[in-house]
Amino acid sequence: MSTPADLQITATERTPEIQLSASNGLFSMKGESYPEDVAAFYGQIVHAVEQLPSVLNKPLEADIAMIYINSSSIKAIFRIFEGFEAVRRAGQPVTVRWHYTDDDDIMQELGEDFKDRFPDLSIEVKAS
Amino acid sequence: MDISEAIKIRNAMQHSGVIMAYNGTVSDDLMVSLAEILKARLEGLDDTKRSRTVFSVFMEGMQNLIWHGRTEQNPTGMVCISEHDGEMVVVCGNRIARSDSVKLKEILERLHYADKDTIRQLYREGMSRANDHEGPGAGLGLLEIARRATHPISYAFSDVDEQHVDFFLSARI
Repeated sequence: MSTPADLQITATERTPEIQLSASNGLFSMKGESYPEDVAAFYGQIVHAVEQLPSVLNKPLEADIAMIYINSSSIKAIFRIFEGFEAVRRAGQPVTVRWHYTDDDDIMQELGEDFKDRFPDLSIEVKAS
Repeated sequence: MDISEAIKIRNAMQHSGVIMAYNGTVSDDLMVSLAEILKARLEGLDDTKRSRTVFSVFMEGMQNLIWHGRTEQNPTGMVCISEHDGEMVVVCGNRIARSDSVKLKEILERLHYADKDTIRQLYREGMSRANDHEGPGAGLGLLEIARRATHPISYAFSDVDEQHVDFFLSARI
């Protein structure tokens, strides 16, 4: 079953692969992010995530495994996290796993920064 | 340019350990092309941590140049990456309105004397700030550079005319 909140976006050299399935309670995002037009790329994703509180009837699990994220994408991803937080507030448990490559301090620290900004979300920052 | 000028430039670049230097029109396409070249160069280094940091600082610097040039017909800027004594330096430069330089100088002054924890806290606060006025990253790019640099970032302003100044930013990694 496909809901308006479902997404299947293929990765490009400068944009990540993104999958969202409201029926399975799954979100994933991996790759690099420095789109030419951040608003155009992330607009639909933020919009879909914002719909989750009203369409999701099970817990949400999110896996994020990024290699490089530019600063304007970080602001867009922040809004995705705000969507996760809204899901949590609407009563569904949310688990976020932030994966980083073993020695990648930059992505590790960014995961910690998101954890700091969203203290009520369960965010696991883990090397993989 | 006559050949003696070209030799002078070559010698200066060699002396400073320049890995990559560009001066001229900047665009998103240019950023992507240079990023590809830089990535390939950095892959040759053993220090993957430093490579990632240099790449990140370069990208934020380039995006800043593109953002500032967005209202100009022919936006120009310079970027230079050099390596000397185990240290890499990324320098970016572009022309900005004199009126914008006042606030920028204040921010840079503050960042120059801020410790890493303060910069990280400013960064965290900047993550949620809306994109209204200051640019696509609204100052987050500058904080990213300050945060990644191994020494306080340095900067220079050089007078052009009554309305413009050239702005240069340098980060050691």
